[in-house]
Amino acid sequence: MGKRLSVAIQGFHPSSFLSEETARLRELAQDKKVISAVSGGVDSTVATLVAREALGDKLLPIMIDTGFLRAGEPERVKERLAISPTSLKVRLVHASGRFLASIKGKGTAEEKREKFRETFYQVLKEEAEREGCQYILQGTIAPDWIETQGGIKTQHNILEQVGIDPASTYGFKIIEPLADLYKDQVRTLGRHLNLPSELSERQPFPGPGLLVRCIGNVTKEKIRVLKEATKIVETSLAPFNYEQYFAAVIESKFAKDLSLETVSETASEALGLPKSEVHADVFEDRVTGVKGDQRCYGLLAGVKLSEESRETYGWLQDRLRHLQAGIVEKFPDITRVAMLVKERRGGRPLSILVRAVSTRDFMTAAASPVPWKILKDIGQQVLKEQSVSRVYYDITPKPPGTIEFE
Amino acid sequence: MYVKGQYNHLIVRNLKELGVESKLLPPSVPLEQLESIKPDALVMGGGPQSVRSPNQLTGELADAARLIRQVDLPMLCICVTHQLLATAFGGVTEAARKPEFGPVEISVIEEGRILEGLKPSFTAWESHNDEVVKAPEGFHVLAKSNNCAIEAMRHDSRPIFGVQFHPEVSHTVKGVDLFKNFLHIVEEHKQT
Repeated sequence: MGKRLSVAIQGFHPSSFLSEETARLRELAQDKKVISAVSGGVDSTVATLVAREALGDKLLPIMIDTGFLRAGEPERVKERLAISPTSLKVRLVHASGRFLASIKGKGTAEEKREKFRETFYQVLKEEAEREGCQYILQGTIAPDWIETQGGIKTQHNILEQVGIDPASTYGFKIIEPLADLYKDQVRTLGRHLNLPSELSERQPFPGPGLLVRCIGNVTKEKIRVLKEATKIVETSLAPFNYEQYFAAVIESKFAKDLSLETVSETASEALGLPKSEVHADVFEDRVTGVKGDQRCYGLLAGVKLSEESRETYGWLQDRLRHLQAGIVEKFPDITRVAMLVKERRGGRPLSILVRAVSTRDFMTAAASPVPWKILKDIGQQVLKEQSVSRVYYDITPKPPGTIEFE
Repeated sequence: MYVKGQYNHLIVRNLKELGVESKLLPPSVPLEQLESIKPDALVMGGGPQSVRSPNQLTGELADAARLIRQVDLPMLCICVTHQLLATAFGGVTEAARKPEFGPVEISVIEEGRILEGLKPSFTAWESHNDEVVKAPEGFHVLAKSNNCAIEAMRHDSRPIFGVQFHPEVSHTVKGVDLFKNFLHIVEEHKQT
């Protein structure tokens, strides 16, 4: 150990990873066709490029349009991956109707994720049968299976680790070339493969897409509003280099539980402001969090400061940290806290949540200090949507929150 | 040792990045098998379980408690196994009056080798519902936070350490210093 210790940080070596992994893939595939499931994200793109090094045109990239992708995304990804240096010929499989039907009436995060996974693999199964493939390749990375195994959330691309045997259930085997890597290592590998930075540094997008950013029941209107808000948030926050930034939608329905009535009081104490300046609402729909290494499907508190207090004190990072920690410490059922950015009166049914985080490996994350003016601009634009009444900014780190809401 | 915590894998990543060969094993590993790979030290991670009732430990924690008692190697115990270390040596773990999640300011009382260079304070990330409320005899407390009186402790004579926070996550920026300190201690222990 002594000698090794004196060597500088050793880190991850993309070239040796690549030669070992391509050899393993050739051995595994034995010259047969392999389907690669791509999403346009960095994980599946890098996994596909690694596999192409090994398998050449035996590799068939497909992209499933689940209906929960960003506006115009399937076509954009297909075009982008077709040009050099990726030069991948991606076939689009349209299945949005099937996905929407499968999650109809499912309100909780885990039900939605499980239904999504079932449909996802059912579609892949049909594609595998059509092509006569025994193997499906996907871009699973370490946090995906670590979180699924730890019971934090069901990632859509995890089967074996939760006891589902893909060979007997779906008739194909799964190859995951990046299963032991973390996000930053995947990006390093992507750069090594000459992936342009717009692809290698692209922010993550969850497999089930906007489905897990549409909190609670899924309706066409919620998804439509979410697509619009996503466009606004991504455009506004793109210049800031946050590792992940996005919008989510939740119904403006609030819990009437008496034990939560003192949340406003706790919030004003934590902020050091008079009670009259601070008001907290707790949303009815639950959101995912992680407390003490355990999944916590808890409540979301939305805190509103009076206009003047918000302009003066509302964006001091230390105060926000106290506010978030103060509420979550005191109310075991609350996992996340968001600050009201802007609202419009008049009984509109939806709220938009803005989230931006900094993180190295997506295992822990800090809420980013987005400039207040930028948030107000986002609020202004989003409130033009007729069904949106409020815009919030999520100030919760992971833990006790997670990066996504479901 | 893999105690089913999500961050357990990050311990391995940290040690690998420091150039140290490390293996993630379940604490149920038989002692002979553990000895056969000739480890220099043991790091135990966190997990979702609770050690509030030390006489009713099950699964990984029962196995981990056995290892803590039987293995005579430098040991670093994190989060739930820090609590387990305390109870295994006669200390007390209870539900925290104020649980801690995310960033926490850690005040160093005494560096005690493992926290060398970390005085007077540093930010660490935490995720715990329980906490050690009484350190066992033969241990002394090295660090505290506003909510939690025992954030780090060490054995008076043996190279055994417990920390409530997570040095292995990237947001604990100085966590890597703690691992380096631990590896130095391990190195010295090997030479004696």
